[in-house]
Amino acid sequence: MRPVRLALWALTALTALYLVLPVFIVIPMSFSDSAFLEFPPQGWSARWYENFFTDLAWLDSAIASLQIAVQVTVLSLVLGTAAALGMVRGRHPLRALISGLVMAPVLVPYVIVGLAVYAVFLEWGLTESVLGFVLVHTALAVPYVVITVSSALMSFDRRLEQAAMSLGAGPVATFARVTLPLIAPSLASGAVFAFVTSFDEVVTSVFLSGPDLTTLPVQMWSGVRVQIDPTVAAVSSMLLLVTLSLFAAAGLTRLVRRRKT
Amino acid sequence: MNEGGPNEGGAVDVRGVGKRYGEAVALDGVSLHVEPGEFMTLLGSSGSGKSTLLNVVAGFTRPSSGSVAVDGRDITKEPPYKRDLGMVFQHYALFPHMSVAENVAFPLRRRRVRGAELTRRVGEALDVVELGGLRDRRPAQLSGGQQQRVALARAIVFRPRVLLMDEPLGALDKRLREQLQLEIKRLHTELGITFVFVTHDQDEALTMSDRIALLRDGRIVQVGTPEDLYDRPASRYVAEFLGESNLLPGSDDPELFLVRPQHVRLSPPGAALPDGHHARDGKVAEVIYLGSGLRVEVELRSGGRLIARTGTRLDPVPKPGDDVVAHWSPQDRVTVPA
Repeated sequence: MRPVRLALWALTALTALYLVLPVFIVIPMSFSDSAFLEFPPQGWSARWYENFFTDLAWLDSAIASLQIAVQVTVLSLVLGTAAALGMVRGRHPLRALISGLVMAPVLVPYVIVGLAVYAVFLEWGLTESVLGFVLVHTALAVPYVVITVSSALMSFDRRLEQAAMSLGAGPVATFARVTLPLIAPSLASGAVFAFVTSFDEVVTSVFLSGPDLTTLPVQMWSGVRVQIDPTVAAVSSMLLLVTLSLFAAAGLTRLVRRRKT
Repeated sequence: MNEGGPNEGGAVDVRGVGKRYGEAVALDGVSLHVEPGEFMTLLGSSGSGKSTLLNVVAGFTRPSSGSVAVDGRDITKEPPYKRDLGMVFQHYALFPHMSVAENVAFPLRRRRVRGAELTRRVGEALDVVELGGLRDRRPAQLSGGQQQRVALARAIVFRPRVLLMDEPLGALDKRLREQLQLEIKRLHTELGITFVFVTHDQDEALTMSDRIALLRDGRIVQVGTPEDLYDRPASRYVAEFLGESNLLPGSDDPELFLVRPQHVRLSPPGAALPDGHHARDGKVAEVIYLGSGLRVEVELRSGGRLIARTGTRLDPVPKPGDDVVAHWSPQDRVTVPA
């Protein structure tokens, strides 16, 4: 039993290292004093962090990305939850078709989506605009919200809603007081997915970006493609820190909640 | 719950209610009148339509035909939240994200009861079900019996005139079930409101009800007091559904005679029988010791089997293979239309 357990632990640790270790290479790279991306770095400095916070191109793209991601999160939560309700609870004859359409954006290659949207948005003057990005990213993010929320709704005990109604709560109060609080954890994970989908998105964003508006991932991409700018490593390290803190926070709350019950 | 004495119960009138799901008929023109303050049980096996009928009264199921009225007011088209009927579910349906007190306060808040009155009435309702000490617990921290009591408190705290219960004890073990049967009965007397109670358990129905409506295939086959149904069943189905029964062919062909096992007495062959007793000869086939008595199955010479429930002090104690005479008083023999 003992050696088997040990071997399993070792295997798990190795797999984790294999998956995660390459990501951490960006950290030493970000503290390099060289003007090029290099690993391992020859000398150390924080100049690329300084560059991020002083270079307007970097700052603006970060702010734009945040702005877009927040709006996408709110919009896709509302739309995705409504769609999930309709798909799980509704009896519409075209339900299967509609749910297929809602899920389509994740199945179609993003390049195709990007190209198609680019052609139309050029016409409409929506390229390089926050609205344009929000619309496209929302279409990509809604399916993730629909998936998480509809799985929560499918396992939801509808007798709780019947109970609420028998106790005098109308449809709105029943949803607000009973359904919503109970599916809130799924809404939260749907929100995280939606945020990340938008914040991470490169392919469609490349089409929509330009001198007037560029998102952070596109800026990073061109940072590597055009200039081999080590600021990319600094940005990556900071994003890594944010991601890890989010995971740690989620893990901690789960731990605390488990301790409570 | 104290002011003005016990609540007035509401009368429930179900008239010609039918419910069809495509081809399947769940309810087939059911009519039933429940008196104010009555304890009415809807009894039947699964698929009999008893739960569908309760859901029609509660407003969760829209009937295909017919109407439902409470105190003469037609509520057929009203949504459940406007009906003001209390409801208790088999699996409690407590809100898991609220404490016991918040669960009980829920219907009061929906009715804009606030502040000190809210606290007082929640406390009273929890006292009625003897759970005053658990107000801050979450449902998940309670036993099944405690959860069902919270559900009861929540369903009566807003003083509905009618309380509907859908197999409320179905998920509990036998001992707890019997204890809660008595508590629900006590609650019914204390509150004075109308109870409509769904169960598939005939003992539960006999113990608790003022009247029982026995359903089968979406129809009511008999409505009456427990004595009516047990002692004067309107059909063979009723006789066999409620308790053990011996059905013997009568003199007239479509007729059957019902003799309950506790009225059958056993004597050795040749012994003197009480005056006027009907008797059949047979052989003991099986004897089961039940603690409170014996359950003896007799293979009749005329064909068929007969069950007798006797005391344990019979002399001689019957053994399989013994010749016996099964006999009963004509008073205990009921004619049942086949």
